[in-house]
Amino acid sequence: MKPTLKIALPAAALLAAVTLAGLPDAAKADSLANMERERALLIETMLDGDITPAERQARLQAGQRRLLDLERMVLRDDNLVGRNTPQVRRAFANYDLTFLVHASAEKSRTIADTWLAQLGITTQSLMSAKRGRR
Amino acid sequence: MNAKQYLPAGPSPAAILILSGYLILAMAAPGQAAAKGTEAPNWQPVASEKLIKLPANYLKKSLDHDFAQSALSAAIQDADGEIGLKGQTLEDLRAAIDRADGELAVELRHQFLAQKREFINLMKRKADLRQRHIRTKQRTLEGLLKKLGREKGAMTPARVQLVSRQQQARERFKSSLEKVDLSILAVSSVPDSKYAQEYAANMGAVESLVAAIGNHPMNSQPRLDGGPVTKGDFIRQMLADAQAGMAILEQEQNILGYMAKLVALDALALSEQVMDGELLDSDIPATASPASAVKYFVN
Repeated sequence: MKPTLKIALPAAALLAAVTLAGLPDAAKADSLANMERERALLIETMLDGDITPAERQARLQAGQRRLLDLERMVLRDDNLVGRNTPQVRRAFANYDLTFLVHASAEKSRTIADTWLAQLGITTQSLMSAKRGRR
Repeated sequence: MNAKQYLPAGPSPAAILILSGYLILAMAAPGQAAAKGTEAPNWQPVASEKLIKLPANYLKKSLDHDFAQSALSAAIQDADGEIGLKGQTLEDLRAAIDRADGELAVELRHQFLAQKREFINLMKRKADLRQRHIRTKQRTLEGLLKKLGREKGAMTPARVQLVSRQQQARERFKSSLEKVDLSILAVSSVPDSKYAQEYAANMGAVESLVAAIGNHPMNSQPRLDGGPVTKGDFIRQMLADAQAGMAILEQEQNILGYMAKLVALDALALSEQVMDGELLDSDIPATASPASAVKYFVN
């Protein structure tokens, strides 16, 4: 093999590796948007007054498994590291609110409890609330 | 080498005088003659994004390899070859001068001066080419450093805060992973999701590949003075080396200037010596004073 080729081949391989490393970024779907959509649906199910408690429980359990995976995808997504957009900033500003399933499992609480606590709504605050005209 | 080949015709004193004048003028601008009529060889590296992404050690090799392929590198090698041959010629001439005497010695000294002038011209040409190489390298490295700085400069305080939060989130996630798995997956009768199963299977492969990449000799971090350095530091060190090369080159050009001046002075000395010899051998009578003619008038 000619000396020129000996040097050119590794260089080409390295450049190809660098180029290939960038390929999945373009093809990858926005993990954060997918997670936010699933989280919104889960909260909607949680607050839905038109379904029975059993139905809610079943839907929440199924949604929780999906959201668990989606949360992990977001937390492991290197494309989001340093992406300074309002969505990403807001998502990582409050771990407990964004990664609902992980935060609630970590604290051994239900998803609803964790979410309401993050919004500042506790049993105590609800019990002490009074009806009145604003 | 036969010294007689330097003797196409015997030089007259006038010719030597003209030569000495020509040498003085030529020494004042030794590079002009070489620059005329020749197209400047070039090297045009580009501080591309791909070059920045290369490991620091490989970046240097890539630049050196690119230069080795250029016309400028070929021109420097040619100049080196010519200088080597010219040095040999000077060595032969000096040896011939030591053995010669009389008019032959004068002629050889004349040839020696002419060859020294050409040698200096060649050295000057090579110095110009090396200067072009170092300047181009400096510009390229500065371009790389600027691009590297732009990448790092994008780390605004808000972005730094975001990255810090993301790191905290990952650490919290990793530390709570087992507990989350236990509380959600263990309780549920549903098997692991496809994502969880495939992620776990791929993770082993990823970890072994990452370890192999980390231990690969070509992936080793650049080191300066025995310690690891960042890519920016490595490029700055290369830039400092190029700057040092430029300073040494300027010093070498000063040396060439002194050599040129010495050749011009030698040429003047030779012409004066030849003129003195001519005057001594001439038939022109010595200037007569009245006192020396007194003997013709006194009986």
